[in-house]
Amino acid sequence: MKHIIEEESKYAASAKAFRANVTRDLGNEELRSNFRGAMDYLMDKRKGAFSSEEELEVLREQCKLIKQRCLAKLPHLLEQLEGNLEKNGIKVHWAETITEANEIIAQLIAQKKGKSVVKGKSMVSEETALNDYLEERNVECLESDMGEYIVQLAKEHPSHIIMPAIHQNKKQVAKLFADNIEGFEYSTDVDTLIQQGREVLRNKFCQADVGISGVNFAVAETGTLCLVENEGNGRMCTTIPDLHIAITGIEKVIEHLADVPPLLSLLTRSATGQAISTYFNMINSPRKPGEKDGPQEVHLVLLDNGRSQAFADEELRQTLQCIRCGACMNHCPVYTRIGGHAYGTVYPGPIGKMISPHMLGLEATTNLPTASTLCGACGEVCPVKIPIPKILLRLRQESVKPKSQQPEVMKGQGAGRNNVEALIWKVWAQVHKSPKFYALSMWGLTRFRFLMPKKLGGWTSVRTAPKPAAATLHERINAKQKKAKQEKQSQHGRG
Amino acid sequence: MTNTKADIKAVSNTARGNILAKLKAEVNGADYDKLPKEIPYDYPEFSREENLAQFISELEKNHAQVIKTTKDNMAEVISEQLAALNITKLLYGDNDAHREIINALNSKIESQVYDFSIDNNKEMLFNECPAALSSSRCSIAATGSIVLWPDENEPRSLSLVPPVHFVIVDANKLHADFASLITAQQWQDKLPTNVVLISGPSKTADIQQTLAYGAHGPKALIVLLINI
Repeated sequence: MKHIIEEESKYAASAKAFRANVTRDLGNEELRSNFRGAMDYLMDKRKGAFSSEEELEVLREQCKLIKQRCLAKLPHLLEQLEGNLEKNGIKVHWAETITEANEIIAQLIAQKKGKSVVKGKSMVSEETALNDYLEERNVECLESDMGEYIVQLAKEHPSHIIMPAIHQNKKQVAKLFADNIEGFEYSTDVDTLIQQGREVLRNKFCQADVGISGVNFAVAETGTLCLVENEGNGRMCTTIPDLHIAITGIEKVIEHLADVPPLLSLLTRSATGQAISTYFNMINSPRKPGEKDGPQEVHLVLLDNGRSQAFADEELRQTLQCIRCGACMNHCPVYTRIGGHAYGTVYPGPIGKMISPHMLGLEATTNLPTASTLCGACGEVCPVKIPIPKILLRLRQESVKPKSQQPEVMKGQGAGRNNVEALIWKVWAQVHKSPKFYALSMWGLTRFRFLMPKKLGGWTSVRTAPKPAAATLHERINAKQKKAKQEKQSQHGRG
Repeated sequence: MTNTKADIKAVSNTARGNILAKLKAEVNGADYDKLPKEIPYDYPEFSREENLAQFISELEKNHAQVIKTTKDNMAEVISEQLAALNITKLLYGDNDAHREIINALNSKIESQVYDFSIDNNKEMLFNECPAALSSSRCSIAATGSIVLWPDENEPRSLSLVPPVHFVIVDANKLHADFASLITAQQWQDKLPTNVVLISGPSKTADIQQTLAYGAHGPKALIVLLINI
């Protein structure tokens, strides 16, 4: 038996290039206007979706506790889910790494001699770069979500987890279609564009032998795979081909069917401001004897890829509460300006900054937790109340910890550690611990302020250098009080 | 291509063991009785009329067409709608209630029962079935959702592939919201192969946030509401 040779995620290199990506994308005016428009639209939609602040708050608290309960019971729920799915006839596979997941899927397809795959929207399959893996093995893999289809035609990856092609405007899509689809006449009419996509993709649904989808909620109690969607491509992928393979992260399991309604209600309203998506699809088994359609085989691949690392730390575990609504990115001032691709990771925005370090390691993602103004908007809108800013601060700490410090909480611990910076903070801490040192250093800083350099690296590229005052605040207050006292005394003297 | 021979069963078993061991080490000894109480939002109760109004308004907001009718008038309504859409063929699920309606349809309309397996019939289903008629199990007022419970007589693709979907909805089977529906019918005890909640025709806003209907599924959802 050959072992699987782990491949590094292609996103590690692009995440490392974060700073260069940001410079590139900040300079792209069209891109920035596309994101600004889209984020304003999505924020507006969410705002109008809740009847009252009170309803929103009660639901957020309830859903936070639901997800925390399900995480507290995670290993047991995964076993229960597996048992119930198998009982229903759905086969369950486990993968620790992206290559394991890809290989399992590739072999399931090969066993059925599958040649053509249609995919519903699945961010986890983006995470594993499944399309590349299958195409290297001569399996055609077509994205069928309209946004994903556009992104695939453009040879890009999604810039938003809910609206994958949000970085493109209709003119860009029209050009893309005209360049890539035979017989398509350039038009910027959105209906025409969608009907064109529909025509191409319906043919593919009809012919494909495999459908691949993600999962929004996997219900342990019943062995149910739930899919949330508007287009119908998710239903197509899971109904028409003979083989359906679903892939999801281990954190998507929930305990009861009764946990679904509140989570679903918050998910769609937080994501796009919809009371519910057009389709809510609950899959329980493959085709049963006598039934006329549905796949003959259904498989679920459960992927870890760093999630168990986040799980092992109580604070970081909250990262796994995420239900992937995208509200944090919609409200993020950084995301809105730099766009989804600059992060270089599959999951952009605040959720990406939190989860990617577990998937790719802190070496590749050192910059991500620092790409935040800590304004707190993401934490305020998060439907499951993940304290995102707090977790980003924690990741910053993990990234500058000494490499050798035990226990090692995260892969790549200390990747962002700079010895000079560490020394500066050590001295800073010492100075602030001792009143004498503090007074002495303040005296020095104010008296030798002319030594302050005019250029301070990145800081002064867009700002002027700070200049210490001529005297410390203490000195000025003392002087003021002294002066007041003297004046008082002299007044008494006169009187 | 170094990996083609790896035994995926063994890979999966090892992964399963490792993942579960890691997770269990963290939750060992947890007392699940001490988890905080989850309090749901207390939604106000609505009358039948209010629920019906909400159901219709949500569906219409999502571009579904809602037609109030009766069992006896249904054939006529469907005939009219099909004529307006220039459609002369209707696919339907194989049950007695439907057969009556089908028999009463305008004679110009060709009807076809979905009694074939989808295997080897996909081309026909995708290209030669412009409209379909299905029943529904119940519906949800809060979100304007129709619950379909497909079975051997009403396959899953009946409500998905044909571009126009007629669905019969009984106003007496309207529930206030999804949570109360699941509880009332104890769904956790028995679920069919597939359940789907439908709240409008297929749509997308993936191009510049502009809503377009008829993405992959039906372009039109026509709700025939009876027993009002």
